[in-house]
Amino acid sequence: MSSIKSVVISCAGIGSRLGLGQTKALIKLHGKSLIQWQLELLKDVEDIRIVIGYQANEVVNEVLKIRDDVVFVYNHDYFNTKTGASFYLGSKDANEYVIEWDGDLLIHPEDIKKILNTEGEFMGYSTITSDEAVFVKLNNLNEVISFSRENGDFEWTGPGCILKSKLNYTRGNVFEQIEPHLPIKGLMLRAYDIDTYDDYKRVEEVIKHWVL
Amino acid sequence: MKFIFDLDGTITSQETLPLIANHFNVQEEISSLTAETIKGNIPFIESFIRRVHILGKLPVDEVADLLEKVKLHSLIFEFIQSNRENCVIATGNLDCWIQKLVDRIGCKCYNSEALVENNKVVAINKILRKEDIVKKYQEMGEKVIYIGDGNNDMEAMRISDVAIAVGIIHHPAISILPFTNYLIFNEKALCRQLNQLL
Repeated sequence: MSSIKSVVISCAGIGSRLGLGQTKALIKLHGKSLIQWQLELLKDVEDIRIVIGYQANEVVNEVLKIRDDVVFVYNHDYFNTKTGASFYLGSKDANEYVIEWDGDLLIHPEDIKKILNTEGEFMGYSTITSDEAVFVKLNNLNEVISFSRENGDFEWTGPGCILKSKLNYTRGNVFEQIEPHLPIKGLMLRAYDIDTYDDYKRVEEVIKHWVL
Repeated sequence: MKFIFDLDGTITSQETLPLIANHFNVQEEISSLTAETIKGNIPFIESFIRRVHILGKLPVDEVADLLEKVKLHSLIFEFIQSNRENCVIATGNLDCWIQKLVDRIGCKCYNSEALVENNKVVAINKILRKEDIVKKYQEMGEKVIYIGDGNNDMEAMRISDVAIAVGIIHHPAISILPFTNYLIFNEKALCRQLNQLL
């Protein structure tokens, strides 16, 4: 499965909401950069595509310490675009199915297998943990039927897997890009994203016992 | 669709001009020029003329024999062998030096041209502008994917449809990164990307 699907990690942003003065891929959690945590969790995936923009050279150097067989994809317009643009650019020349993976997302190691063993399209969601959540609504078939800024039972965290042929260029967010293609099977995950400093402290606590 | 490859350091796993210089023991004159050219500190055309002036005195047939045996990136070589019709080389290197090597690689090649007399390069007749090759294929309606690593690939990469910067034997020139879509440091990953583009 992991050789068939590409994973697109979006690391192009400036990390302004977090306020640690650097792109999120480079922030340290227990002495390890966030991108290192992600690459260790995704070590069984063959086609990893890392979208870079702000601090591109630093991210490249950090990744090359861990593995050199990734494809770096430039989002040169990172200042004016959001994750939807990075996901599109990372997916355009990838495998048929692409898994979007936000650069600020950590998934419990046991749930990584679940993701990589799931056939076809899916949308990852979790219980609500982060300060500035986008919510998902599910139907009784456990399919994601909509996203919402206002309310919902669960938090949209990604990763999400979709056929790359369905994607178009957008300056907006990934969830807006995926929305026209719902419903898509939901996948409940222990997923944690880091948007704010409080998220950062909370995630550092959660992952301290993870074994990779 | 056309895949246009730079030759030195992209298809070959050794830079050819330093190889010639080492073989004929003129490396001191060449090495600093090559290093500064890759960094973009000396304009490519000036550097090329100066290097040919040094190396042109060497016997052309021996240079061609030497370059025929240059080491290649085996997976990239295989990709070209499997997709000969879609692959093209664009190199500033001289026809008289690389013809045997190009025959070995087995795809079409655009290069610079020299006048040879008495087995020596006596004049440069034409210096290839790689961007002209990109334009030529785009005008024929082809989607052009350009794969290179050096400052002299910059304009070709800027106008190509997909620009891939490679850093397999050394980091690509910083000057090309603003025009790069994909940056790749591993031959297997590069070939995976090329196959995805097919």
